[in-house]
Amino acid sequence: MSDKTNIYKPIKAKLLKVITESPTIKTFIMEPAEDFSFKTGEFIELTVDGIGEAPFTPSSSPLETKQIEVTVMKTGYVTEYLHKMKPGETLGIRGPFGRGYPIENFYDKEVLILGGGCGFAPIRSLLYSLAAISDRLRKVTLCYGSKTPDECIYKPYVDQLRNTPKFEVLRTVDVPDETWTESVGVATVLLDKVKVDIENSVAVCCGPPIMMKFGTIRLLELGFKDEQIYLSMEKNMSCGHGKCGHCMMGKYFVCKDGPVFTYNELKDTPSIWE
Amino acid sequence: MKNYYSLLNSDWNSALDQLLANYSIYAPFKNIDSSDYELVNQENIYEISYNIPKPTTPLKTFFLPIKENLIVTLKTINKRIIIGTPNCDIQGLNILDEIYLDKDYIDTAYKDKRDNTLLIATSCYETQEHCHCMAYDIRPFSKEIADISLSHLDGKIHLEVLSEKGEKFIIELKNYASISNSSELEIKNIELKQSKIENTIIANNTELPDYKKTGEIVQKAKEVIWSKYSSKCVSCGACASICPTCTCFLLVDKPEFEKVRQLDACQYPGFERVAGDEDALHELSKRFRNRYFCKYVWKPQKFKSLVCTGCGRCIEACIGKINKNELFKELAN
Repeated sequence: MSDKTNIYKPIKAKLLKVITESPTIKTFIMEPAEDFSFKTGEFIELTVDGIGEAPFTPSSSPLETKQIEVTVMKTGYVTEYLHKMKPGETLGIRGPFGRGYPIENFYDKEVLILGGGCGFAPIRSLLYSLAAISDRLRKVTLCYGSKTPDECIYKPYVDQLRNTPKFEVLRTVDVPDETWTESVGVATVLLDKVKVDIENSVAVCCGPPIMMKFGTIRLLELGFKDEQIYLSMEKNMSCGHGKCGHCMMGKYFVCKDGPVFTYNELKDTPSIWE
Repeated sequence: MKNYYSLLNSDWNSALDQLLANYSIYAPFKNIDSSDYELVNQENIYEISYNIPKPTTPLKTFFLPIKENLIVTLKTINKRIIIGTPNCDIQGLNILDEIYLDKDYIDTAYKDKRDNTLLIATSCYETQEHCHCMAYDIRPFSKEIADISLSHLDGKIHLEVLSEKGEKFIIELKNYASISNSSELEIKNIELKQSKIENTIIANNTELPDYKKTGEIVQKAKEVIWSKYSSKCVSCGACASICPTCTCFLLVDKPEFEKVRQLDACQYPGFERVAGDEDALHELSKRFRNRYFCKYVWKPQKFKSLVCTGCGRCIEACIGKINKNELFKELAN
């Protein structure tokens, strides 16, 4: 856990291993200097020393407290430096922050997960948590979309999930290659291919804003109620404590009140998809 | 009156002189056409200005400096006394306390400064052009939050105790000066002055909608209003920098995992930009509107405290001469 006497001070974490997931996405496995636990969907602030800090939701299992993993797309200043880092180097971690997935609300339900791109990272952590309580769930369906087959991350984990009872994985890519045998099109096309008992389901949506927007619209069209849809919002979370103001979204601080919200909580907030 | 004490001006000045051994003392001093806080020393004690409207610098900067290293310089500050803060700024501390002393995440850098500061507020005997505290139900004198409320009257300093910390200060002050209870007549005269200034501020702002209506007004405002008023905005952020309740900040990383807090403003480009260059506040008019929604709609939904205290600094500071009171008057009619 972060230092309670100074909420801005990161704990050190040693980078143990870097896994290249796709040309632009890497997973960083770290060993924090002290045990670090989080609930699935909560996020951490990761510091690249002297460069900057950025928010990531861990992609590892919350049940693992000795190591923590984040999966990061190279897309900005901090992530560019992070992608250059080698095992043995030291990072800083603050957190965990925010409100994650209330998985106790998923008991006895089907869980339909819509993910896109690097949004699979928080989803993988959620899937680990759901696998641990699968006897209390009816079914878990992951609908995952990425731009190209190359950009599909966690390939070994997807194979593993496909052999796990009660778990189903559907994938799609925008631009297929000759080896691709699964769906083609944006992630939301997969929602038309799954059979869901909507009344006894919850839906989880995590990915780029455009996918979140159209995913939510489609889920509502399919008959999901506002409070059945869980959205993992991404804003410029910086301090993590609802103080710095950068992630304000209407009356919410995404870092403290989220990042997981039901659509019911957000539907009256303007510009949530921007 | 039990909580109202008085002492001669000369005794107060000599007490302050002796208190300088234990405290850093800040008070307002008049400049040519404004006033601002300065560190009190033995030479300038006699020049402190009492019962004047707001100093240029908002009180928040004593608790949230413009720039502060939150890792290495985090140490207990010297005890300090801030004298002469008007109630608009005192009330502005409420929202800062709600945010920075939030029990889930106490900001120790802020708390240390709050704990080690004695606040001696002052009643305003004058008003400035853009003062409009009364429109937001804030009176031009303090009855809470501060530790003591000071009023200067007929060669005497009157101190109304508002907190336990203030009570302890009076006990300490008795070591340095002869203190008596203010008479009923003296208190009545102070209250007369206070009431006179209240009426002036009310009379100066009759066209302004009250605070309770501002949220609804902002929500109903059409795009054309934001375009019109933001057309003169240059995103300098002065309105937010000088606002007693704007507290957003940027965390800047330094080597050795140090974090430096720097006051920020939603009026600056890139305030909400995330990796991949998504930026909900990319357009200037959206940033301009954001500040009004934050102050009059969103923060009031989330917090108990007022997020505009009617000090009028944002109007004075704006180089584009954007007057938010004019905006509200236009919207209210």
